[in-house]
Amino acid sequence: MIQLKNLSKVFRTELIETHALRQIELQVSEGEFVALTGPSGSGKSTLLNVLGTLEHFDEGDYLLDGQSVRGLSDRQLSALRNEKIGFIFQGFNLIKDYSLLDNIELPLRYRGISASERKRRALEALELVGLAARKDYHPSQLSGGQQQRVAIARAIAGQPRILLADEPTGNLDSLMARQVMELLEQINRQGCTILMVTHDPDQARRASRQVQIVDGQLSDAAMYDPLAVKLA
Amino acid sequence: MSLHLLLKSLLRRKVVTLLLLVQLALTLALLVNSLLLAGQTRDKLNEPTGLDLPHILQVQLKPTTTDLRAQPLLGDLLERQLAAVRTLPGVKAVAYANQGPVRQGGNQGNLYDPNDEARTNVPSIPAYIVSPDFFAALGLKLLEGQLPQTAVPLDGEVRSPMVLTRSLAEKIFPNRSAVGLDTSYAPVAAVVEDFFGHLMATEIMYNRIQVAPLLGVDWGYALLINTEPSATENIRQQLPDLLRQIDPNIEIFYIRTLKEQHQRLYSNEFGLATLLGILSGLMLLVAMVSSYSNAHFHALKQQQEIGIKRALGASKQLIFLELLSENWLTTALGALLGVAAALALNKMLASVISLNALSWWLPLLVSLVLLVCVTVATWYPARIATSVSPATATKTL
Amino acid sequence: MEQFFYYVKVSWVSIKRAPLPYALTVFILSLGLGVFFANATFYYQMNSDPLPHKSDKLFYPMTLMVPYECNDCLPPRIHSYSNVQKLSASDIPTAKVAMYSSDGYLRLSSSQAPTPVSIRITQPAFFSMFEVPLLHGSVWSDDKARQELILSKQTAEKIFGRSNVVGEKVLLDDRHYTVIGVLDNWQMLPRLYDANNRNHVNDADQVYMPLETGYDYNYMSNSQSHTFDDTDFRQLGTQGRTGALHQLQFWVQLDTQAQQQAYRQFMDNLVADEKKAGRHQSTPNNQLVAMRDIVRFFGGESADIKAFALVTLLFLGVCLFNASHLSLNRYLSNQYEFSLRRALGASRLQLQQQMLADVLLMTLFCTLCGLLIAWGGVELLNYLWPANRLFGRWDPTLLLLLLGLTLSSSYLVTLYPSLRASFGGLNQQLKE
Ligand SMILES: Nc1ncnc2c1ncn2[C@@H]1O[C@H](COP(=O)(O)OP(=O)(O)OP(=O)(O)O)[C@@H](O)[C@H]1O
Ligand SMILES: [Mg+2]
Repeated sequence: MIQLKNLSKVFRTELIETHALRQIELQVSEGEFVALTGPSGSGKSTLLNVLGTLEHFDEGDYLLDGQSVRGLSDRQLSALRNEKIGFIFQGFNLIKDYSLLDNIELPLRYRGISASERKRRALEALELVGLAARKDYHPSQLSGGQQQRVAIARAIAGQPRILLADEPTGNLDSLMARQVMELLEQINRQGCTILMVTHDPDQARRASRQVQIVDGQLSDAAMYDPLAVKLA
Repeated sequence: MSLHLLLKSLLRRKVVTLLLLVQLALTLALLVNSLLLAGQTRDKLNEPTGLDLPHILQVQLKPTTTDLRAQPLLGDLLERQLAAVRTLPGVKAVAYANQGPVRQGGNQGNLYDPNDEARTNVPSIPAYIVSPDFFAALGLKLLEGQLPQTAVPLDGEVRSPMVLTRSLAEKIFPNRSAVGLDTSYAPVAAVVEDFFGHLMATEIMYNRIQVAPLLGVDWGYALLINTEPSATENIRQQLPDLLRQIDPNIEIFYIRTLKEQHQRLYSNEFGLATLLGILSGLMLLVAMVSSYSNAHFHALKQQQEIGIKRALGASKQLIFLELLSENWLTTALGALLGVAAALALNKMLASVISLNALSWWLPLLVSLVLLVCVTVATWYPARIATSVSPATATKTL
Repeated sequence: MEQFFYYVKVSWVSIKRAPLPYALTVFILSLGLGVFFANATFYYQMNSDPLPHKSDKLFYPMTLMVPYECNDCLPPRIHSYSNVQKLSASDIPTAKVAMYSSDGYLRLSSSQAPTPVSIRITQPAFFSMFEVPLLHGSVWSDDKARQELILSKQTAEKIFGRSNVVGEKVLLDDRHYTVIGVLDNWQMLPRLYDANNRNHVNDADQVYMPLETGYDYNYMSNSQSHTFDDTDFRQLGTQGRTGALHQLQFWVQLDTQAQQQAYRQFMDNLVADEKKAGRHQSTPNNQLVAMRDIVRFFGGESADIKAFALVTLLFLGVCLFNASHLSLNRYLSNQYEFSLRRALGASRLQLQQQMLADVLLMTLFCTLCGLLIAWGGVELLNYLWPANRLFGRWDPTLLLLLLGLTLSSSYLVTLYPSLRASFGGLNQQLKE
């Protein structure tokens, strides 16, 4: 369902050009759980942002469900993000001023779903992450792990087909991290495609496929032989 | 975008929002009332006066020696002055008068129908003592009777006949012609069209005129000159030298058109309206600065929030609209409060100056103006805020 | 002290980091203060009491002794000559004075061009009752008519080129007079002794003439005169002294409660006797108004200034709201730093001292800008309402008031935001 063709991304500042992504070729099919690994600064987050259409790319092409995202307007891209893609960030990125429920309802709201339906789905998602009892809390009243679970609930409330997670457990202790991982696996089992950036080899191993980026390029091993990465 | 969420986020910033609301309300209140006052002043300046204000000149002057201030020298001086002014090109008519029209107050007297003093007495009427050309000098239309052609002394055996303006004649002699009837002072010779006399008189348009020699001019006197429109300014320039040539023992206090005289009458109101206007402008400026800084600060603080929203599928347009509508909402709420504040301020101001009651459309109009200003002020910061890259904004520190 | 300079430096650095919001805050606050202060100047000066120790002892009596019948009228504000004589015929007041104002032309000789002057025609008690300072010479020894004038200092200097001109001769309206006194610089503000017709906002008069001389030479009042019978105003010296030609103002000095009570009684008796004698028919309506209330009594308060005062107060309110709003935003954007500093061990006290430095700096800027704006405002008001121009000036009290106001406004504007920043939940801020 995701197809990257010879995709490149360059960051240009006055001083330097950073080739964050170079000629990426990547295919991800429906239902996969892909772990993205690689050293710091290698371009993992950039890749995820490009996949999530938060960032434009310079060369190559990106087909989502066989359709190129090149040349789509801001409004079309927004709609695409809203309907097909869910995000989970390392820093949770919940909106402070909103209650948990309002936070989760937000993407549904953008989709124009009715209030009752919105609430039902948001509660369902909160239920799934085990925080339904605190629906009226504000993010600052939760622990980090709880906040991340709310972020996951928000990401899945809109029933996206793709979930993009950038180091979702980066700020959590191992127990919390395991809980979050289990949650993600559960979501994956329900048919949602997941791409997750992680530094944790154990987590990466639990994915159905691992992709490694080094210096903006997919390393060969990762492209053809997931096992090779594991050994390396 | 939803009202519910907007309200919620406003409520979470109670103090800031409250400050903004109070300020918007006060701005609206002040704007509304200054507009009201400005309109009122304009109406006063445009009120009918019955006179060709811009083309009638009034010279206010006084002899500087005691002999010249009393008869017989005074009569001679007046004759010489009138004759000299008459020769100036563009002068249609010139007359002397103990006082000019279009004034705050001056020489006044009462008048009534001797058969019915209680009902017809008018206490304060400007009393003019003038030369025969007074009516031509003011361009007054004769309505009935005959204008006195010669000056009849006020302290002589024969009473100097009186000319009344229309509304005064109707007040003292309702439903009948006043001509030939006797008043408490003298019989009525003629009735002329209304003109603006004294602001402080019983009624602005009440005037009584007697054609008579001036007895004494300790308070000075006026020369009234009706001019061709094209010659007014020219005549005004020539007058001081001309009059001093006739007799140097005079002090000329001023030479004004009646239009200037009229404007001076309302200079206090004009001043207040101007001040309130300036203040309203400043207030709008302050409101705009506040909206701008609020939006700007907000956008900065909300960068992350906006980034998140963009990631969750809000388009740039939607975010822009959201920021604007937040300001619109506060403006609308402020305007609502402002209507109440405007009414209160109107009441308070009306207790110290004369001020009309508010009409319904004025607050509406001003709210609209406020809305436009707030929108303009919010536009730029909102544009900047929407162009924030979601990828950067959602990045963790 | 050194610590204080450190705090000021920190404030300055934080201002420099984001100069625009700070400049806007100062601008808005000074705008509100300046506009308010410009109008307050007039309001304060016009309502000030020029003789605070005496303004409750000088009284303006009024009676309804007039030849017309009226049963619910206020008495006329001005007196006839004969009524003044009746009201003066009492030993109760410590002092009493009648007066009016007129115009004339002053010169040294008939060959000179005349100088128009305003004349106060009055009695010797005027100078003691209203504490008029005399520079040279003396005032008239009694109330009799005489060819003697007292000049203001400026007038003496203008006519003679010097101030000590006692004994010199002048021509006033072509009559010869001797100068017997010259006043020192004097301008009672507001001129409460002449409050009728809003004359209290005018300049002091230039020439002073004995009352009887004024009547003998037929000087008419230039402010207000009223004939209630057929008195010929050209016969002031004869008919004017007996008829109902009203033009005089009359003041009595009643130092004690007892004197005031007694004089009231005197007025009541006088009016009752006159009525009994058939000299008037109206129901008595006697008034005895203290000098400090006279402007209000005559309805001469400046409605425009009052209305504008109300509005400028509102404007100040708006500006205060706005400035605190701006400043709150500024502090909130520094909040993280604030919290960090507290986390690093700065005590609340230290933060508050920091805040104090902020307040002082803000006061400094706002006073400077505010004064500038106020100055412009006073100029504008002088231009729009030239009648009040005498009142557009500052004295030390007023300036101190401004400073106090600025300080408290700056304090207000800084207080809440910095409280929010320094007392808000510490952990919550760091977490956010
Ligand atoms: N907005 C940007 N402007 C300029 N350069 C950028 C920008 N964002 C990222 N880069 C550069 O692009 C490269 C890839 O960054 P990216 O954030 O994708 O790395 P990463 O693999 O996610 O690293 P980490 O594991 O530390 O999160 C880095 O060299 C970074 O400096
Ligand atoms: Mg990264």
